[in-house]
Amino acid sequence: MRKIAETDFVSLTSLKPGEKAEIISINAKGEIKKRLIDLGILRGLKLMVVRKAPLGDPIIVKISGFLLSLRKEEANKISVKYCE
Amino acid sequence: MKDSKTIEVLLAGNPNSGKTSLFNEIVGANRKVGNFPGVTVEKVEGIINYKDYQIKIIDLPGTYSLTAYSPEEIVARNYLIASKSNLIIHVIDGTNIERNLLFSTQLMELGKDFIIAVNIYDEVEKKRIKINIAQLQKLIGVPVIPTSSRTKTGINELIDEIIRHNEKINSVQKKFNYPEYLEEKIIELSKILSYDTELIQEYSPYWLAVKLFEQDEFVYKLLKGRKIWLKVFPFLTESSKEIIKRYEIDTDLLISEARYAFVKGALAETVNFSETKKRSLTDILDYILINRISGIPVFIFFMWAIFQMVFNLGKYPTDWIQQAFEWLGDLITQNIRNELLSSVLDDGIISGVGGVISFLPNILLLFFALAILEGTGYMARAAFVIDKVMHTFGLHGKSAISLITGLGCSIPAFMSTRTLKSQRDRITTLFIIPFMSCGAKLPVYILIIGAFFSPKIAGTVLFIVYMTGILLALISAKLLKSTILKGESEPFVMELPPYRLPSPKSLLFQMWNKAAMYLKKAATLILIASLLVWLASNFPKSLNIEKSYGYQKESVQQNKYLNDDEKKQILSALEKKENSLQFQHSIIGQLGKIIEPVIQPLGFDWRIGISLLTGFAAKELVVSSMATIYSIDESGTYSSKNLQQKLRENYPIQTALALLMFVLVYVPCIAATTVFHREAGKTKYTIFYFVFTISMAWLLSLAVFQISFLFQIN
Repeated sequence: MRKIAETDFVSLTSLKPGEKAEIISINAKGEIKKRLIDLGILRGLKLMVVRKAPLGDPIIVKISGFLLSLRKEEANKISVKYCE
Repeated sequence: MKDSKTIEVLLAGNPNSGKTSLFNEIVGANRKVGNFPGVTVEKVEGIINYKDYQIKIIDLPGTYSLTAYSPEEIVARNYLIASKSNLIIHVIDGTNIERNLLFSTQLMELGKDFIIAVNIYDEVEKKRIKINIAQLQKLIGVPVIPTSSRTKTGINELIDEIIRHNEKINSVQKKFNYPEYLEEKIIELSKILSYDTELIQEYSPYWLAVKLFEQDEFVYKLLKGRKIWLKVFPFLTESSKEIIKRYEIDTDLLISEARYAFVKGALAETVNFSETKKRSLTDILDYILINRISGIPVFIFFMWAIFQMVFNLGKYPTDWIQQAFEWLGDLITQNIRNELLSSVLDDGIISGVGGVISFLPNILLLFFALAILEGTGYMARAAFVIDKVMHTFGLHGKSAISLITGLGCSIPAFMSTRTLKSQRDRITTLFIIPFMSCGAKLPVYILIIGAFFSPKIAGTVLFIVYMTGILLALISAKLLKSTILKGESEPFVMELPPYRLPSPKSLLFQMWNKAAMYLKKAATLILIASLLVWLASNFPKSLNIEKSYGYQKESVQQNKYLNDDEKKQILSALEKKENSLQFQHSIIGQLGKIIEPVIQPLGFDWRIGISLLTGFAAKELVVSSMATIYSIDESGTYSSKNLQQKLRENYPIQTALALLMFVLVYVPCIAATTVFHREAGKTKYTIFYFVFTISMAWLLSLAVFQISFLFQIN
């Protein structure tokens, strides 16, 4: 099995609407981390960026069947790798 | 009824799971609305009588987990872990079953009995999601009942299940294991915790152990003061370290992943999602309503529509209510001879009660509108669209809705801040709402602007006043957020629920819950406050004035050279003059004179001082107080010139500008202040709110007054 290089990981913010990715790690702390965990944002799950707000921030992602909006500030703490 | 057994049931689940609609369907109108003790979180409980039982159902605020942050979540969690209720109904959104079941895994650990209602089942069927209920029940180990408040499916089955459960107790068991080493450590830790016999009477030791590994603040605090902590802490630190080393991930994430894996596994065996390529209604509506071009215009349109609905539609019932109370007041003054008694009844009690009730149409309509926004799913999207702007000033997207409402009336605006989860965001929003000019300030602006500015620029000046308010609100938010209310604000991690059509029943109940809260919590205080203001503006009476005018009136009456019309005219002039003098002699009048030195630098005299003081009772009163005071001029003679003329003659334009600023910023009316106090929940906030608004008003008016003089020199 090929080990995935660190460079393959990007932060969720760098995805464009329509792009899909798999969650690699959650690097948040405190309340944000708890919120993400509570909403079931966990390693290994696939998500898709659906759209950005009119002013560019926050963004909406689709994950395990529901829509989640989060600010870039928070999205930055989720690293993903492209899939498909 | 006497022999009936009482069962207490808690309704819990994720936000947007249709929990409240289900609650409404089960209990109907037989409900009690109040607050959870100590917090401004709405508590709704309903009672149904069924067979021999009386079933009490408490609708808990929606929560995603048992780790709580917002006041709502803390309430829900405290109830779930500490209450002695007989049963929990976990309501889940059947169309979003995966994430909703995560909460079930947490309930399993709690060791309390629960049953699952797979709600919104009509949509589940429409979407052709096949759920094998029997199999799911087996895997999770608790009764599972499909329900829908729209089609009224499963309501009776749910009630039957509650009763069946009450007759035979079968304890819920956790149906999954954590990774081996972690599970071992959890069990070891729960054994240590079991030594504290007092503690485990209240809480399940296993649950406490899991929560400790999850680094749950509440459980940490709970244990820190206890003797057992000396054994727990070293064990916890040591094993956490080892777990992180073995699994290369934080313990809280590891725990959540294990729960998720269980849910995923259970669903793989029981649920069949028919993957359709067709775009859902939510996709289409989002594409139209919140895309990058139309998003903001649509948001502005909806806000405008709400504003129109609340305040224009609300105007008619408000007018009717006010007219009805005026009519009642007239009836009293005409029929009760005793002047004091009729004044207490009319100006004190009737106008007080009338004031309380006249806010009701606006409150009802606003909460109806908010219920529609929330129920359809647009509320979260509105916050999403405008969040960037609000975040720049340290606020949350949802604050925008409260601020816009504040342009109509501060009372419903204060109440609407409940949609904000973070306490800091709420308090900040509460503080800045007064800067949004409410409807009652408009007559004051019109009076002053009309007196000092030509009709051509009057509109522009009015616009500038409103804009100044909005700007002040946003700047103050930034200021508060970076000083006294500093701290992490609510992260914007928010679910956008699918668009749904809320049932009229649900909308009406939600509206009524809010109105009941207002009447119950604010009404009596507003009434008392109105009475106090009445007292202060009517007492003490000067006997000298009364006597001297009594003589004068008497002599006019008996004057043979005057005809009836002339007499009437002179008498009414005397009456006004007497009222004006008595008003100046009252507590408020004297206070106005006392504060003159303080407000002199702003270009105000005691007359303006008195008027501003009465504005605390209601902003419109500033106008009528001025009319009363200015009915006599400097020399003490009655003058019939109109008020705007007199203002123009008495004050320079700089005073007018300063006055506009002062009215814009200074403390809202007593009714609003009462509601503020209720919503903020702490006396220190109310004191700060007074100091903040009044000192801001003073400083800004001073600045306006002095700076506008500089400009005139040039």
